[in-house]
Amino acid sequence: MENKTTRLVLSGAPHFVTSNDIQKTMGMVIIALLPALAGGVYFFGPRALLVTAASVVSAVAAEFLFRKALRRETHVTDLSAVVTGMLLALILPVSSPLWMAAVGSAFAIIVAKELFGGLGGNFANPALVGRAVLLMSWPAFMTHWSPSLRAAAVDATTTATPLGILKLGGTLTDVMKNVGVSGKSALYLQMFLGNHAGCIGETSALLLLLGAAFLVVTRVIDLRTPVAMVAATFAASWLFGRDPVFSVLAGGILLGAFFMATDYVTTPVTPVGKWAFGIGAGLMTVLIRQLGNFPEGVTYGILLMNVLAPYLDKIIPRKFGFVKPRKVNA
Amino acid sequence: MSLKTFRGGVHPPEHKEPTRDLPIEHVPAPTSVVIHLTQAIGAQNQPLVKVGDRVLKGQKIGDVEACPAAAVHASITGIVKKIEPAPQSNLKDGMAVFIEADGTDETAYMAPLDAFACSREEAIKRLRDAGIVGMGGASFPTDVKLAPPADKPVDTLIANGAECEPYLTIDYRTMIETPADVVEGLAIAAHIVGAKRAVVAIESNKAEALPAIEREFAGHSHGIPMAIVIAATKYPEGGEKMLIKAVTGREVPSHGLPADIGVICQNIGTLKAVKEAFADGKPLIERGFTVAGGACITPKNLYAPIGTMIADLIPGVIQISDDVRKVIFGGPMMGVAVPTLQVPVAKGTSGVLFFTAAESTQYEERLCIRCGRCADACPALLMPMLMNAALDANDLNRADAIGLIDCFECGACSYVCPARIQLTQRFKLGKDLLRNQRAKEARHGK
Repeated sequence: MENKTTRLVLSGAPHFVTSNDIQKTMGMVIIALLPALAGGVYFFGPRALLVTAASVVSAVAAEFLFRKALRRETHVTDLSAVVTGMLLALILPVSSPLWMAAVGSAFAIIVAKELFGGLGGNFANPALVGRAVLLMSWPAFMTHWSPSLRAAAVDATTTATPLGILKLGGTLTDVMKNVGVSGKSALYLQMFLGNHAGCIGETSALLLLLGAAFLVVTRVIDLRTPVAMVAATFAASWLFGRDPVFSVLAGGILLGAFFMATDYVTTPVTPVGKWAFGIGAGLMTVLIRQLGNFPEGVTYGILLMNVLAPYLDKIIPRKFGFVKPRKVNA
Repeated sequence: MSLKTFRGGVHPPEHKEPTRDLPIEHVPAPTSVVIHLTQAIGAQNQPLVKVGDRVLKGQKIGDVEACPAAAVHASITGIVKKIEPAPQSNLKDGMAVFIEADGTDETAYMAPLDAFACSREEAIKRLRDAGIVGMGGASFPTDVKLAPPADKPVDTLIANGAECEPYLTIDYRTMIETPADVVEGLAIAAHIVGAKRAVVAIESNKAEALPAIEREFAGHSHGIPMAIVIAATKYPEGGEKMLIKAVTGREVPSHGLPADIGVICQNIGTLKAVKEAFADGKPLIERGFTVAGGACITPKNLYAPIGTMIADLIPGVIQISDDVRKVIFGGPMMGVAVPTLQVPVAKGTSGVLFFTAAESTQYEERLCIRCGRCADACPALLMPMLMNAALDANDLNRADAIGLIDCFECGACSYVCPARIQLTQRFKLGKDLLRNQRAKEARHGK
């Protein structure tokens, strides 16, 4: 009898946990990114897969080797490095050299994540840090755009993104010409489907929203931040006299709003903080698009808000049974 | 129809099937018991007997002149063998009276008392003398709970039949098997506090107990309007504050008590004990509890004298498998893992669970990924991840500002945490540290 109980485990309550761990959560995000990746392959060819593979393999290897070198427990099975690798690939041009994608995701993992203690310790979104570093280091590669293989007018090997055309002084009519359609609604449709130049995974609003819907239904992400970011982009673009629908569909707004601004670690946890983060990221993006040197501002918009996230968590929601103390008249 | 409930909470697997349809089994009279002198929140009892004394079943063996406190009584008739510290289910050794049965069945119960005819003071004294405490786990003296200050009138008394902890079915069985006792106890408790109405609150997965209870309203309500409320099946629906919110819509104020908003909750087993204390003069010397878990070959509901050693029930009453790795007193969400089977059933023991190695997995804690699931789960509407971060930074004041003291340790946050952080444990520790710091500040006149 006693031998049965000599090895009893003592631990604190609860003695129960859900099976829903970090690995499962990251797995859901990977599933949600697959439509956008498939879109990248459809619009820009199989090279999209190669770039993604290089980025993912490099991210996982970087995390594994770095933690091994530091003699720490490795956590690559939690799949967070895979998510970082995928996210970075989806915000690179399809023509990116494979070594550059690999360098970017290794930097993202080691400098932006592991040097801060690994998943949970980082203050900035690793994939966005990776992209920011690549943009500064190899601007030519990072602004080399291939047209969509499915576009009506494919006669060039390089082109500009819709936002790039605007930045160079073009109008929406020039964008329509580039995309090969006439009329605003036709342009919106092509942009919604993703049939235009851009990063591998950012062009198709349809496929991004499909993945995002999956994350919302499975309650992996909270809608507050992305809704705030899209709404702020829409409103601010309109105030600046930019076409608001075009502004939301162009560039990385939807990918950023639903997959970057919803990153758990680097964004606020409080409801007020989430709204503020989304509004701030949307505003910053539009300001950069309008006033900055870059055609697109999602990367820096979100990174800037990442830095503010801890401050945005200062306003905590009402607690159960909490009654506001009455103001005493002095 | 949406069921009444509260915001937050979790849905752990219920695991109630193995025992929910098993009648409560009275265990054979044990040959010895170990009765801890202090089994309630409050003052430490002093022994009223000495080694060698013969004590009768129902005889008071420990008490103290203080409030709150609850007397303890001999649960079998026999000889006091020793009085010394022994392990108890809160992991602290406590002074205990060891009684060896002499095989006789003499009892020393009090005279019956009509709760509806006696004065309020007499009724409260009866609860005190009978050693009645909350049997849901907290073990707060019932005489104190049913005597709120005069400036806090209580209009509603709630019988807490939620039993939201997985595995446990003893309250459910008690309602099914002895509904008259439960309703009678409810009427007595409501009468003592002067409540205008009484409510039996049941989780939707136990709705079968509803007709049994309802049938007894006519004969045992003593003129007090009674009703049944079905609440959603969700953990921790049976948490006092959550259940009050679900039933009445009122929120117990932060740092306050249910009586502040005119409500008192009583556990089902407690109500039965209240009835017995008046009708039979029987003190709280026996109780029902569920035994279950993956390593328990014979899951059942048992009724045993307080002080029965779990080890003594094995293998005669309970059989456990060889791969038992964890023994829990209470439910899996809030219960306490004990290091040995040499622990007696106490007044607050609602269940004893035996978990296999697979059910006792220890997880590596990761850094918080701020996913927010703990905040969604927290029934107190706190932000556990921020409290955890504040405690990590040794910032007790910040943790306090976020609401550390409002945490009632239900375990919902730890249950959902994908990083496997033992949030509830950290908050228990943090609350102790904070109380110590506040006490120190008070001493230094800060």
